[in-house]
Formats: sequence, C-alpha cells, structure tokens
Amino acid sequence: MEANSSREIEARNYLEKHRIMELLTYLTSALLFFRPEKPREYLIPILEQLRTAKVSGVAFPFFMDNSNIAAMFQMLDSSNKGSISFIQYKEALKTLGLCTADEVLKDDGHGITCEKFMYEVNKKTQEICGKTKGKDSESYRSAAELLLLH
Amino acid sequence: MDATTAPHRIPPEMPQYGEANHIFELMQNLLEQLLIQQPKDPIPFMIKHLQRDSDYVPKIVILGPPASGKTTIAMWLGKHLNSNLLSVESLIAKEYSSLAADARTHYQKFQTLPDVLLVRLLQERLREEDCIRRGWILDGIPETREQALLIQTLGVSPRHVIVLSAPDTVLIERNLGKRIDPQTGEIYHTTFDWPPESEIQDRLIAPAGISEGETARRLLEYHRNMVRILPSYPKIVKVITADQPCVDVFYQALTYVQTVHRSNAPFTPRVLLCGPVGSGKSLQAALLAQKYGLVNVCCGQLLKEAVADKSKYGEMIRPFFEKETAVPSYIIMKVLGQRLDQQDCVERGWVLHGFPRDRDQACLMDSMGYKPNRVFFLNVPFDSIIERLTLRRTDPVTGERSHLMYKPPPTMEIQARLLQSPKDSEEQIRLRMELFYRNSAELQEFYRQAITLNGDQDPYTVFEYIESGVINPLPKKVPGLRAKEYPPGEQS
Repeated sequence: MEANSSREIEARNYLEKHRIMELLTYLTSALLFFRPEKPREYLIPILEQLRTAKVSGVAFPFFMDNSNIAAMFQMLDSSNKGSISFIQYKEALKTLGLCTADEVLKDDGHGITCEKFMYEVNKKTQEICGKTKGKDSESYRSAAELLLLH
Repeated sequence: MDATTAPHRIPPEMPQYGEANHIFELMQNLLEQLLIQQPKDPIPFMIKHLQRDSDYVPKIVILGPPASGKTTIAMWLGKHLNSNLLSVESLIAKEYSSLAADARTHYQKFQTLPDVLLVRLLQERLREEDCIRRGWILDGIPETREQALLIQTLGVSPRHVIVLSAPDTVLIERNLGKRIDPQTGEIYHTTFDWPPESEIQDRLIAPAGISEGETARRLLEYHRNMVRILPSYPKIVKVITADQPCVDVFYQALTYVQTVHRSNAPFTPRVLLCGPVGSGKSLQAALLAQKYGLVNVCCGQLLKEAVADKSKYGEMIRPFFEKETAVPSYIIMKVLGQRLDQQDCVERGWVLHGFPRDRDQACLMDSMGYKPNRVFFLNVPFDSIIERLTLRRTDPVTGERSHLMYKPPPTMEIQARLLQSPKDSEEQIRLRMELFYRNSAELQEFYRQAITLNGDQDPYTVFEYIESGVINPLPKKVPGLRAKEYPPGEQS
C-alpha cells in the first residue's frame, strides 16, 4: 500500500513539475480548433518549437494575446460596468490555467478592472514561463514579453 | 449569467474530428507513456513517441496449459500480424546479451529461471527497436503471479490477453502425440496435424516430458498459477477453448486481437439504420432513442410534419405528396439538415432512418457534413417481411395498430372492424423492397464500416446487437492484413 501511494505521488509531482496537463490541454485545443488532416504531423512541429523555445529563448506562440484577454474581459463583464467581481476573476484565471484551484488570491474589495485583469494575466503568464525549466529562463521571459503583443 | 458560464455552443465539427482521428486515445496513450517512463525531458520524448506512431501495434499475451497449442497460435499470429514472438526459449537463446548468457547457465544447471532474471531479460528485449515498432506477442509469459506483477511494475502492459483452455483429459491425450521438427521448430501431431511430406515425417522426434504423468504434473502447476495471474488483467482477457481445430482457435484469436477496447473518449452516437421496408428500423430507432436519449429522426415523418406545418419547405413538398412521387433529394436534405442542426440533435446524437436510400443521397448527406458514426444494415428475408407487413391492421375507431400474429386484437368485435392500409399489400411491399435492394449494394460500399445484422429475430435480440455495435469501438484493421488467407503459410 505504501509503495503504491508513493509512486502515485511521484507521478503527480512529475505532472506538476513539467506542467504536462496544461501542455496536453493546449495541444488538444489546438488540434480541435485547427483540425489538421494528420494530427501527429501537426503536433510534432509545435513540440519542436516548444523545445527550441526552451533552449534558446526564442518566442513561443501563445494561444492568447492582449486582444483576446480584452475580449474575454468583455464577455465576463456582461453588464458593461467596467469591472468584474473577484469570483469571476478567479474563475477566469482557472480557465486560463494560470492559477490552481486552491491558490489564495487577495481580494481588495473593489472590482477588478480591465487594465488590472490584463496586467495580472500577463504577470502570471510570465511567472509561469520563468518557472518552467529552460537553459536560460531570463531570456525566455523577455522573449515571451515581446510576444505578448503590447 | 455571463457568457462564460452559459452552456457553450461547440461547433459539431470539433467532436466529429475528435472521434474520426481518435484524438482522445492519442492523448491518453501519450500521457500513459509519460507517466510510466517519466523522462527527464518530456518534450523530446513526446516528439519521439508521436513520430513512432506505435499506439496500435500488437501487444498480446497468450497463456494456456501445456499441449493447448499456445506456441502454434502464437507463431501464426506473429506471422499474420508481422510481429515479434517472445517465449522463454527465445529470450534465453538471445545472442550478444550478458543477461541471456547468465540465464543460459542458470537454466542448464537448474532447469528453471528465477523470476527477476526472466523479467529483466524481457525488459531488455522489449526495449529493442523492432519490438517497439512492430509490437510483441508473449508466448507463455508470465508463468506465475510474481512474474506478472514484476512485468506490471515495469510498465509493460499487454492490450489483449488470450487464455486457451481445455479439459485436462483432452490435453494429456493430445500431448502424447506431440512431435517436433528439429530443423524448423514447428510442432506437429500424430493425429491432428501430420505433415504431408515424408522427409519431414522421418525426422520428427518426440520431445521430452510428454508422458502422462509428466503432463499431469505440469497441468497441476499450471492451474495453480493461472488462477492467480488472471486477476492482473481484468478487462482484457479472452478465454478461447482449445478443444477445437487449430484453425478455429486461430480465427477467434485473430478477431479478438483486432478489436479495440472501449475507451473513455466522449462519444455522441450518430446512428444510421438502413434496411428494406418492414425490417424494423423504426422500432429499433425508437428503442435506441428511449434507452440512450438520442433523437429519433424518421425522414418520412419529418417530411409529413413539414407539410402539416405548412412551412416553407412544406409547400415545396406538398405537390410531390399529392402526386405520390418521390420528393427530390435536395428538398429532403434541406429539411433534414434543419432538423439535424438543432441543438438537441447536436448535443444528444441522433438515430436516422428512411434516408439516404441510394448512393447519390448518401453522397449528398456526406457533403453537407452529416456523417453518421455507426451504420447498420438490417437484413430480413422477403417472406418474413411479407409476414410482418401484410398482417398489420389498424382499428378505425380507436386508432390502435395491431398485428394478426404478433399483437392480435383483444376481442373478436375489434377484429371484425380492423382495416388494412393499402400500402401494406403484397405488390406494394415487393416493389419497395426491390427498390431498396437495387440500391443497397452501392450504399454498403459507400458506408464501408457498416455493420450488417440479421433482422429476422425478435426485436430485443436485434436491439442487443445494435447496442453492442453502437457502444463498442469499430474494429481496427491491422495494416497489411490479408483477410482471406489463413493460417499463413499453409495451403488449404
């Protein structure tokens, strides 16, 4: 019994350390969205790009850019009052894969405005880029900055 | 409620694409391999895995008591599927391996191998390129529960496990007649499988250990071990009785190995039922709709509803109804398309019957993007159809429908006033049936993966066959298989 659960814990740690689930979700979404004729041949270049991005710090194409983030904010703010509630904000971050379910975010009582939302999303994405193992996470982070089209 | 929490409208192309290309299974296999091997660099590992594309290579384990014909079946399967055959002997005989050399010395001294050594040999062999590329068939491994568990901890898991079984008396008798050709290693039998060429006959020798006592002892040990190995492979075991001709065993094994196990992939059934009039399509569709919550789309019904609603299409259809000619395909397609695009059909799946009737209609439907993922052809002989349809009656007062043979009316009074629909006369039925059979060959060609069923049984039996066809994944044909030639290498 002990051995089983420790291997399970090992496996879960492995998944988290390399963020495998997020990567697989991204690949599946890409496949379903672009619907290439040959899924494997489509996936291999994406993975190659990721590999070189990690090693050399070259930019990696993200799924969402600033205009997407703004569009997402507008969807959340259906009554157009200019800010979203804290709960909506937390759900949105979870959907984007930028925060885990039990992370505690501070709620400053006011709503989250569009600028604050964009700022937080960008900051968290960069944090995550920094955490993933790369030969040179500094340059990767700055490359990612370039790509989050300002 | 804001847009992100409202139910999403997923375009139907996405689940269709996912099903057709088995995306779920692809990702599941990828994740499995990542978790088992836990490579330091996951991305190059994933690239290599995708390039190899070996998700569906054979991974078979064949177990069975001595004299059941394991090795013969394993060899035939290996040749047919173009895969590698691994047994204890072949592992020990391997060259260029220090492990194998150790194993040989151990085997010569003690006549057995320790489990750990065997499993390490196996691991070494399975890591070689040809096993990864073409799959493997294990003949008689694992022999004990300890071996089975060790193999599992390595992350080696077969997809199909075949267990041959036969009564002990049969096996003991059979083993007495076993003969081996020392040159090719093929196994022959004095009664069942005697080689025709006299030169092979002359050189056959009886192997050691086939006396009754010896076989009985080995059988005892086998039974003791097998009971504890089987629970390790809960859902993938198939027991085939070895007490039948070898060729039958081989065919059953081959069919099993080509089936794909059910996975957790999301699946919305889009079922198409085809068959001549009176084959039971509407009944089966109603049963399917009731049990699985699919939407029952009867083409004839749709058209009649359109006319009754006096909708735009209804006005186009009405003249054809009045003249009693067939409605042109493009109008039917428009009405059908409208129905199939509605949210409930997209979400819950549908059962379609009554359309398409010939190849052109099928092409039209396909080009509009409505592709069924299960197609069934119900075969019913002409006499049964006549029986089913000519005895249909309707009660003009209550509107209830009955059948003189299967659901007779309750009282004589009611029976006296029953009427028969003019469409149910024998000539009409014959005409409609011939129309169907003229087009059915083309339709079967168009829907290549269709399942043909015998519709001449009671409805619930037919429903069970349809259910299993819908729920189980379609069998995956192994590339390069020559279906008509079996067993490989033998002239019939």
